[in-house]
This record gives sequence, structure tokens and C-alpha cells, in this order.
Amino acid sequence: MKQKGKGIGCMWYPIGFTVAANPSAATVKVNEDGTATLLTGTVETGQGSLTVLGQIAAEELGISTDDVHVVSADTDTTPMDTGAIASRTTYVTGNAIKLAAEKAKEILFEVAAPMLNVKPSQLEAVDRKVQVKGFPQRNLPISEVALQAQFVQGRPPIGSASFNPPTVDMDPETGQGKPFSTYVYATQIAEVEVDDETGQVDVLYMSAAHDCGTAINPMLVEGQIQGGISMGVGFALQEEMLFDEKGVQINPNLTNYIMPTSLDMPEIDVDIVENFDPTGPFGAKGVGEPTAVPTAAAICNAIFDAVGVRVTSLPATAEKVLKLIKEKRANENKQLAPAE
Amino acid sequence: MDVKLTINGEEKSASVPPETTLLRLLREEFNLTGAKIGCDVGDCGACTVIVDGIATNSCLMLAGQVQGRSIETIEGLANMDDYHPLQKNFEDLGSLQCGFCGPGIILSAKQLLDDNPDPNKEEIQDALAGNLCRCTGYTKIVEAVADAAREMRGNREAA
Ligand code: FES
Ligand code: FES
Repeated sequence: MKQKGKGIGCMWYPIGFTVAANPSAATVKVNEDGTATLLTGTVETGQGSLTVLGQIAAEELGISTDDVHVVSADTDTTPMDTGAIASRTTYVTGNAIKLAAEKAKEILFEVAAPMLNVKPSQLEAVDRKVQVKGFPQRNLPISEVALQAQFVQGRPPIGSASFNPPTVDMDPETGQGKPFSTYVYATQIAEVEVDDETGQVDVLYMSAAHDCGTAINPMLVEGQIQGGISMGVGFALQEEMLFDEKGVQINPNLTNYIMPTSLDMPEIDVDIVENFDPTGPFGAKGVGEPTAVPTAAAICNAIFDAVGVRVTSLPATAEKVLKLIKEKRANENKQLAPAE
Repeated sequence: MDVKLTINGEEKSASVPPETTLLRLLREEFNLTGAKIGCDVGDCGACTVIVDGIATNSCLMLAGQVQGRSIETIEGLANMDDYHPLQKNFEDLGSLQCGFCGPGIILSAKQLLDDNPDPNKEEIQDALAGNLCRCTGYTKIVEAVADAAREMRGNREAA
């Protein structure tokens, strides 16, 4: 018979490296047509980080994301970046880019201030304009300010900056330290159906609530979470590297190493829990790897809820689950026996 | 061995060794690199192209088997004016991440929509079951195929 069950998995996850240095650096240059060029050493692997990083530069400069030309990951020409790892790109690279854009903006403000007869601190950059705070009608197009900066004042509006997440090494005496600069949190709930005659587990539904700080691009955050859940479903139920006694993998191909297809995917509800982190760029933290962390735990708890067995090694294949169900039944029968 | 075939509506020919697969023929002779070499043994679907109306793993077909037949590849979907509705909807929803599975998935979806203009969610999932994607969880892909189907039905009614 098919038994239904629900389970919860919770997690926290650190952003960046554990105490070790993992800096990012960036250069932002405002061009005379009001666009900007962003140089970053990080790579796009499909997660959309270059979009998010372009958004961060654009927000700081008060221009549109379309106005930002992102040049990435040519180590001959772009500043160094530790890499698209440790779920750190939005937070660490994003902070470096925000700082670099701030510096370029400072130059624009210093150039624009006398033109608008105010102090630089009274200016803000909004809608492709440099304008006086509280008096938006007193403004200059960014392109005009950049042109003035470059060709009249001889101060090209360029900013370079780096960011390394502040951490504190562990004190060996007290055991105290601050291994990471920030953390993200998530809870996922799984609904499964377990066939107690075959041990087959189907994941019907997953609900995923993720705190990622400010979601700079909610569509991309959703994509990351859905992708993470598919990896989590594979980890929970299907994916296993098998080795022979010499340590040679015996399933080094996709015929025998099984991963989720479109048919294995549950219905997914994504809940982005917005939470402003004052140390992140515009409050953002990260979302990458954490998305795959609580999935298998939630699924295993749901299996327990459905058929009362605890799977303690992954993947929870049908064979494994059926064996546990049979053991449980045998135990129950043994306990019944003395009563006869 | 000489092969003559039609690719995206154009007659083409090439002279290749007999062990050449359709996938290598497309990529190496005709420089159509949209179809990807994922596993090269029929597991992943990254090499999917449409052969006479049927989505096919081109790594499993020999060049000799496509003699005189008609092939559609991802390169034939968009024209100078517009993307195919599938491509447009994939872009709008951010359906792909690394994109390696994309050409294959879009062609599997195209065959589905050519045969069945109004598929339900299960039918879409079923049509894409031979295309592995490591990044996306397929969620936004399935949504985009449904959106494209709706758009194409609308276009047909309007025409
Ligand atoms: S390359 Fe053809 S199925 Fe993987
Ligand atoms: S988008 Fe990366 S494999 Fe599908």
C-alpha cells in the first residue's frame, strides 16, 4: 500500500571560507555616455551571478542594469576573485563591487557638487542622474557629469576596491572565534509517498523557505532553490558512486549513476524569506549551495512519518527502504510472540 | 562515405568515415555546435535533434542513417526577426542556468508541441524525461514549455 508522510529539514550555512582569506576585488568605471563597465574576476556558471553583480553596480550608481557592461574572469585583465564557490559571490564579490562603485560615484559627486552649487554629501545618484537630495529637479545627467570629470577636470570616474569577509580565528584557550562573516538559514518540508510493498519512495511536494538576505534577483533565487532541490532529491533517493575493492568507480556513467529526470521532480513552492543583512551588499547574503542541504533530511523524515523506518545511509533506494520495513515488521512480530 | 541530407531546410552534403555519428557530422562537418556531446552513449539527451519529426539522440545515429532525411537543429529555430516561442519563454522565465542541456531540451519540447499543441504538465515532463539537466530542477523549463504552448495556440488562432 502507498503510505504518505511529511518531514521537515532545517539548516544554517556559512557564506565564504572558514577564517581563511577569500577576497574579491573589482573595478567600476563610469563612461562618458552614462554607462558603466564592471571588471570582476568571478565566473558565471549559469547561476546568474553576473546579472546580480551588474544589478549591484547599477543600483549603487543610480543607472539601469542594462547600462552596466560586465567583463568577467579574464585573469589577464580583471581583478582577482577567489571564485564562484562557498556560496560567496553575491556577498563577497558583491561587496567589493559595491565599494568600487561607491568610489567611482564619489568622484562624480565631487565633480557635480560645484556645478549644482551644493556639497558632495548633499547629492544622490538616481535614474541616470546626479541630483540634490530633497530637490530632484536640481540634477545633471550622469553622462554629463562623467564627461565633465573625464575631459574638463581630468578626474576619470573610476573606483577599485576589494573585500575580504571579516572573521576572527578561534582562540585555542576559550574555543571562541568568528569563523564566518554571515550565515543563511532555510527550512524545507517534504511530502512523500512510500510503497510499503516495494520500498519505492516518490517525492510529491517540497516547500522551501530560504533566508538569503535581500533577494537581489528573486527569479534567479527561485531557480537556484529549484535546482538545489533536484540535487537534494537525487542525493536522497538515487545518486550513489559505487566503487570496487580497488577503488575504481563501477558506475562512471549516467546509465548506472542515476540522477533525477523531469519525472522525478516534485511540485515545489519557494518562499523567499527576505532579511536585510547590514554587512551584505544592499542586505544580500547568498543562496547557492544551501538550497541542496535540507532536502534529503526532510525526505528521510517524511519516510519515517510514512512507514516508521529511519534511513541512516543515503540514498534511500527502494531496496534499502524495503529491507528496513521488513526488519521493522519482523521486530514487531517478535515482540508479539510472548503474548501467545 | 557521401551523405546528402537536409538541415534546417537547406540541402547539405559531406564525405565522412562510415563510423561518424550524426552528432559529429553536425558539429564537425557543418559547424552546428548547438547539439552537445554530453555522454555520447544515449544517456543525457544533450545531443537531441529532430530527425523527420522525431526528437532523436544524434549520438546514437550514424551519418549513413540520415541519408536523404531532414534534420532540425537548434540553429534553425530562430530567424533574423524573432526567436521561437520556446526560446522566448525560456528566456523570460530564466529556465536555463548553465544551458548545456538547453538545445536538446528545447528540441524535445518542440517535437512535443508539434505533435500535441496542448500538453498537460505530465505530458511535458514525460516528453523531457530523456533530457538530463543538472542545474535547474526542470521546474522553470516545464513552466516555459507550457507558456510557449499557450502562446503558439494563441498565434494559431489569431492567424
Ligand atoms: S550525448 Fe547523446 S545522449 Fe548524451
Ligand atoms: S541548465 Fe545546466 S544542465 Fe540544464
